[in-house]
Amino acid sequence: MHHGQVTATPVVGLVGNPNSGKSSLFNLLTGLRQRIGNFPGVTVEKKAGMLTLPGLPTVELVDFPGAYSCYPTSLDERLVVQELTNPAGDLFPDAIIYVADITKLDKHLLLFTQLRDLDLPMILVLNMADLMDTDGLTVDIPKLSRELGVPVLAVSSRENRGVGELKAAIADLLRAPEDFRPQHPFYEPGAGARDVLAELRRELPARNDYHALLLTHHAPWLKHIPEPLRHKVQQARVSHGFHSLRAQVEETMDRYNTFEPIVKRTVRHAGDSDSLSDRIDTVVTHPIFGPLLFFAIMLLLFQALFAWASVPMDLIELTFGTVGESIRTTLAPGWFTDLLVDGIIAGLGGVLVFVPQIAILFFFIAILEEVGYLARAVYLFDSLMQRFGLNGRSVVALISGHACAIPAVMSTRTIANWKERLLTILVTPLTSCSARIPVYVILISFAVPQVAYFNGLIGLQGLAFAGLYFLGIAGAMLSALVFKWVLKTPDRSFLMLELPAYRTPVWRNVGVTVFQKSKTFVVEAGKIILIISIILWAASTYGPAESMAAAEVQTQEQTVARQLSQEESADLLASERLEASYAGHLGKVIEPVIRPLGYDWKIGIALLTSFAAREVFVGTMATIYSVGSVDDEFRIRERLAEERNPVTGEPVYNQATAWSLLIFYVFAMMCMSTLAVTKRETNSWKWPVVQFVFMTAMAYVGAMVVYQLLS
Amino acid sequence: MPFPLSAAASLFKPGQSGTIERFTNEGLACKLLDIGVRPGSRLRVVRKSPFGGSWYVKIDRQCLALRKKELACIMVK
Repeated sequence: MHHGQVTATPVVGLVGNPNSGKSSLFNLLTGLRQRIGNFPGVTVEKKAGMLTLPGLPTVELVDFPGAYSCYPTSLDERLVVQELTNPAGDLFPDAIIYVADITKLDKHLLLFTQLRDLDLPMILVLNMADLMDTDGLTVDIPKLSRELGVPVLAVSSRENRGVGELKAAIADLLRAPEDFRPQHPFYEPGAGARDVLAELRRELPARNDYHALLLTHHAPWLKHIPEPLRHKVQQARVSHGFHSLRAQVEETMDRYNTFEPIVKRTVRHAGDSDSLSDRIDTVVTHPIFGPLLFFAIMLLLFQALFAWASVPMDLIELTFGTVGESIRTTLAPGWFTDLLVDGIIAGLGGVLVFVPQIAILFFFIAILEEVGYLARAVYLFDSLMQRFGLNGRSVVALISGHACAIPAVMSTRTIANWKERLLTILVTPLTSCSARIPVYVILISFAVPQVAYFNGLIGLQGLAFAGLYFLGIAGAMLSALVFKWVLKTPDRSFLMLELPAYRTPVWRNVGVTVFQKSKTFVVEAGKIILIISIILWAASTYGPAESMAAAEVQTQEQTVARQLSQEESADLLASERLEASYAGHLGKVIEPVIRPLGYDWKIGIALLTSFAAREVFVGTMATIYSVGSVDDEFRIRERLAEERNPVTGEPVYNQATAWSLLIFYVFAMMCMSTLAVTKRETNSWKWPVVQFVFMTAMAYVGAMVVYQLLS
Repeated sequence: MPFPLSAAASLFKPGQSGTIERFTNEGLACKLLDIGVRPGSRLRVVRKSPFGGSWYVKIDRQCLALRKKELACIMVK
């Protein structure tokens, strides 16, 4: 169905090496009309977008993950081979746009020739054509096109050059794919593979010899190869002495020998071009200045995170507070108004309030990535990370984890070694994500006196804040070390990382990243937080009929006995009703368990609900102390300070309790969404359970120790 | 010397360079070939990472970060 005619929605795949500027081109072609999802059955991020071409049905453009060759070493690369060797699959492209970095053509053509031998209609796009002028690079494009047998276009996704021509070429390709099929292969399977191919060629669902060869190589893990056939392939490989690695080396060398002369004949370099990058790297990757610069950048990042985010965050809180209040005054009082204000609007506000921070964090990470700095950070910390059983690439996840563990866990897909990847996934949620910030802010004001030194330059509270972040990182590294000893793996581990030349960022890419990540957060985490807010509202509003009735009677008696004012009576009713509600009952059930940590049943409710997401803690506190009362929703801090233990009359939120809660929140796995992502990424229930148990244990023990020491 | 001896690239000091002759580990060779490191390429060790263990190397015009283990399988002359 894929060849010979233009299908209903033709699929065009963007394929190329990592760092070829493929995603940049994808952003340019599709703009914000992208759908981010997962490839079916695996957790590799799939980016797809619609492309309209004159005279053709809408084209689905799929951005395949970057790959070096048809011999994958990471999950991302496997997916490319999986989909491109499966002509019956939904994602098998009708045409391929192969993106190569114009300055690295001698390396990027390896995968090109492999895909070409799979008999796929292709266009070769030479990206970064802007370097042709500045670097004294010349390419004889007509000659290259003739020798490779495909249309070749020079495009600059950075300067938006050559995109019109590219679209026209895609349209030509889809109209007459037959004209773009290769005349002769770049590579013929060698002597080592001949016998095994002779036996399997008819059995395998292959379009040509090279396709059959790849299926022979990868049958053990390819999903579209049925089990009996997989078995047959294994047997044939053994009986003919087919050595997969050796055959791969032979093929790769043969391919280089074929296309290297073509590149030599068509591309001319004007000498050593990356000297500016080299000069920058003498500082950035310096053994001493490099790490110092890294920490300076991180410091700047967190400063910006707090300084820039506070204004929009206050604005969002104020807006939702005002909207809630005005709805309460306009609508008739009743359960619907309460649901709307305390459940839905408060919940929505709780989600959106994190958007500024997530946006700023991804703004910085996207810039660091675009500039080429992240690869240097990976290089700097690889050996340190290795000692903890992690990979240099884990640095990216551990940094992103400070915004949100969800995208951070997803970013581990580039780690080829399973154990290193698993460890990174398990410990990343220990880094203090932005959802912990509101919890920290409120509790630190109880735990640490507001004292400042050096004319207010360094505050004790700020130091405590930094300390909590450090504690999270230390917890992550130490638990990684423990897992390193517990888990065993036979997998090979690689660094082999390209350090791309420094470039000024393409702001379009930065913008797209910020938009997509913020959107993902609002949609994915937002759904859960909103639902929990509504459940929470219901649980704290309703309760067993007799308890609720008893609360009313109790309040009336107290009002008369103590001669309370109308307002005092209303407050008392609110707290009596909460205690009588389902939430109150549940909080009391767990109270014995959390007593050693210094928590009462009200904090118990907050702990339970914030399992959905940590930020719910503050919302819950607001609900617990304001349901049924006309309190200002954002005066939660003052409200907590007034809270007294009914027996002793001591403040509930004393230093010991506040520190105990802080430690609990640093370590506890209080995020359903992260557990869901861990389940998806590890493809088993085992690891999210392990993650939940070890983090909760750390939190419980840590909080108990702190409380018992301080109280 | 008319026939310079080949040595593992992990023995090189920063600043030293040579031409890649062959690889001594098939698994690593496959991956190295994929990223464009192959016999005949010019290899120069630029510097070591702050915590040891990984090397900043320049191969042809490409900058790469390689671990000691990865560098050890590259024979250079």
